Amino acid sequence: MNDGDAESDEEAGPPPRTGSDPPEPGDPEARDGDERGPGRPTGDREPPRADASDPDSSSEVGAESEDGEGSPVEGDPVEERSGVPGTPGEGSGVSPEEVDIEELTGPVRKLDPRVRYVWVLGSVMGSLVLGGIAAVAGFVALDRPLLGVAVFLFLLALGAVLAVLRYRSWSYEVREDSLYLERGVITHTRTVVPYVRIQHVDASRGPVERALGLATAVVYTAGSRGADVSIPGLTTERADDLQERLKRLAIAAEGEDAV
Amino acid sequence: MPARRLAPLSVFYRAGETVFRLAWLLVIATIGSRSMGIPTEVGAGVVVAGLVLALLYQFVYWQRYEYELTGDTFDIRSGVLSRRTREIPLGRVQNVDLRRNVVQRALGIAEVRLETAGGSETEAQLRFVGEEEAQQLRDAVSRRKRGVDEDSTEPEPEADLLFAITPKELFILGVTSIDLRLLSLASVFLPVVVPSLTDRFGDPLVSFAMTAPVGAFGLAVAAAVLSGLYSITNYYGFRLSRAGSELRYERGLLQQFAGTIPLEKVQTLSITENVLARRLGYASLSVETAGYAPGDSSGSQSAVPIAERDRVFALARSVDAFGEPDWQRPPKRARTRYVVRYTALVLVLTGVAYGVDRFTGFSYAWYYVLVGVPLAPVGAHLKWRNLAYALCEDHVLTRAGFWSRETRVVPYYRIQTVVDSRTVFQRRRRLATVLIDTAGGGGITGNDARAIDIDADAAADLRETVHDRLQDSLDEARAVRRRRRLESIAPTGAGPGPDVSPGD
Repeated sequence: MNDGDAESDEEAGPPPRTGSDPPEPGDPEARDGDERGPGRPTGDREPPRADASDPDSSSEVGAESEDGEGSPVEGDPVEERSGVPGTPGEGSGVSPEEVDIEELTGPVRKLDPRVRYVWVLGSVMGSLVLGGIAAVAGFVALDRPLLGVAVFLFLLALGAVLAVLRYRSWSYEVREDSLYLERGVITHTRTVVPYVRIQHVDASRGPVERALGLATAVVYTAGSRGADVSIPGLTTERADDLQERLKRLAIAAEGEDAV
Repeated sequence: MPARRLAPLSVFYRAGETVFRLAWLLVIATIGSRSMGIPTEVGAGVVVAGLVLALLYQFVYWQRYEYELTGDTFDIRSGVLSRRTREIPLGRVQNVDLRRNVVQRALGIAEVRLETAGGSETEAQLRFVGEEEAQQLRDAVSRRKRGVDEDSTEPEPEADLLFAITPKELFILGVTSIDLRLLSLASVFLPVVVPSLTDRFGDPLVSFAMTAPVGAFGLAVAAAVLSGLYSITNYYGFRLSRAGSELRYERGLLQQFAGTIPLEKVQTLSITENVLARRLGYASLSVETAGYAPGDSSGSQSAVPIAERDRVFALARSVDAFGEPDWQRPPKRARTRYVVRYTALVLVLTGVAYGVDRFTGFSYAWYYVLVGVPLAPVGAHLKWRNLAYALCEDHVLTRAGFWSRETRVVPYYRIQTVVDSRTVFQRRRRLATVLIDTAGGGGITGNDARAIDIDADAAADLRETVHDRLQDSLDEARAVRRRRRLESIAPTGAGPGPDVSPGD
């Protein structure tokens, strides 16, 4: 299922440092240089965290370069998994014992770049409304007919910049036992959703998304802000794939009742 | 148990309720008819017709409403025009609440509510059944949840009284539940408006300036007294007891509440102490389940409305044993952030006050608002001092709030998602906020467990640690479940070998 990597690498961002060789988990360069590290060993949880926090700090707030070097986490995840037999998961029987978790997890991924158009289009709508109001107000009260146009252009430019920044800040990762999201321009947010807690996963497609062939995956938990976790800007196939993966990972997580 | 109907008296009560709800319409109808020259009899006729219609409707509702407690579900068949059949698996029931107001008590009927985690409203609302029936129903539900047969002669688990409110505690509850923010609001207005009295005597606005602060103060006092009285009547006769794996509570002077909270459904505990209670050494405890919709303050979650602090902690630990917290405080630079924030707020308020003074006729000593500037660091320090988080063996604790300090205890096992966020301002000072989400209703205040403004690196650590501990506790639970499963098949099977507990 990892064949989506090559595609995403072509679409956006700097090319990966190495072709398909997995970087050594202890290799310091692999932490700093490689944003998406294709084929990185999924059992290794610390490097992805370092990877994940680096791109945003370098692209947006250069001040926080030390952020990624958190203290190492104890506990060897590979050992935790050793109880599960490594039978490759066949789509059919999804009993907890038979899912190969390693095959379902993936590297840190970016969104599809086209999602920027979805966001820009959204801000066009907002700018049109506010610009229209400004135009009427400018025309009636201030006798400056061009005010509306100026407001519209300003908001549109702002929206476009935000869309680009937001796209850059977004990444997600299907980790071994949780879904990890990182996003936000004004407020950086990182969310960890353990698979055990996933109630269901929706793939939704708005009209603009449909036109661009994109979809949004929405992950629901029983938490009080359950519907907050949504991943926009996925290609249709990838959204379906993600939905399927999360479903199987949630089943494999063998959770008890959440509540 | 065969299918049952609601209490016959509920027909009359519900009809009366409908008429009361439509009373304003009827009043308009009668007044309108009089003013239009239509005889009063017509208006009265409308009222009577409304009453008859309501009675008829409620009778049919009663006739078509059936509920039944089967072995493992609670079924309701209801609906006059569109029928609905609802089955609630008893294992999913979170809370069972009984409530009755004064009129219902006089009629000997009670409302029964069953809450499950799904949906945003109460899943089963029996309005109304007889009092005895209501209690039997509650006991039957908890019996079946324990997996005991109806005919079983097994005795009811002994209910030990955990807490009964004393008159002294009730009085303290009344005093401490006075919302201090109301008073502080009034005291902000006073110094601003009063000096203007001396400056401008003879101003036409002087009478307003004289009455406004007094009025505001009086209003605040009245609101405070009302909120105190409300809590007293609400929690009059509060008793909390523990029967087996359930907590039972009852309370209320006029409107009486009683209910059960299953301990295995408890999501988070939260201990609240407001300024006054803290001074007096008192606190309150609320137990949250997933049964109530977010922000639903139906109040039944409140496990102990008020008690001495140590006792509250002891009670909380008897519900869910958490260790002694080793509080981690946010760094000092977080406090600087609040100083800046509060100073900015004061300056904005000053600007508004100046604007009002300058551009409206109402002029007063606007610059007195600047008194807030030296207060900003004090407020910042108080806020900062109450912020903390702690990691215990099986729980994560967070604490926040000066006016009302809330300590939340979240078992790792109950965590849903962990979110760590940094706003622009937080990034400037390398701070972050970690939100630990559970399926609880978000509490009476609607706050989630948050570690606010902690060091960004510590936040990343906290996020991962909490998540790892959740996974550990899940592994543990899995191992226990497997062992149990193996034990249950052991007598028939070959017996558990040495290699059959993969979770260990």
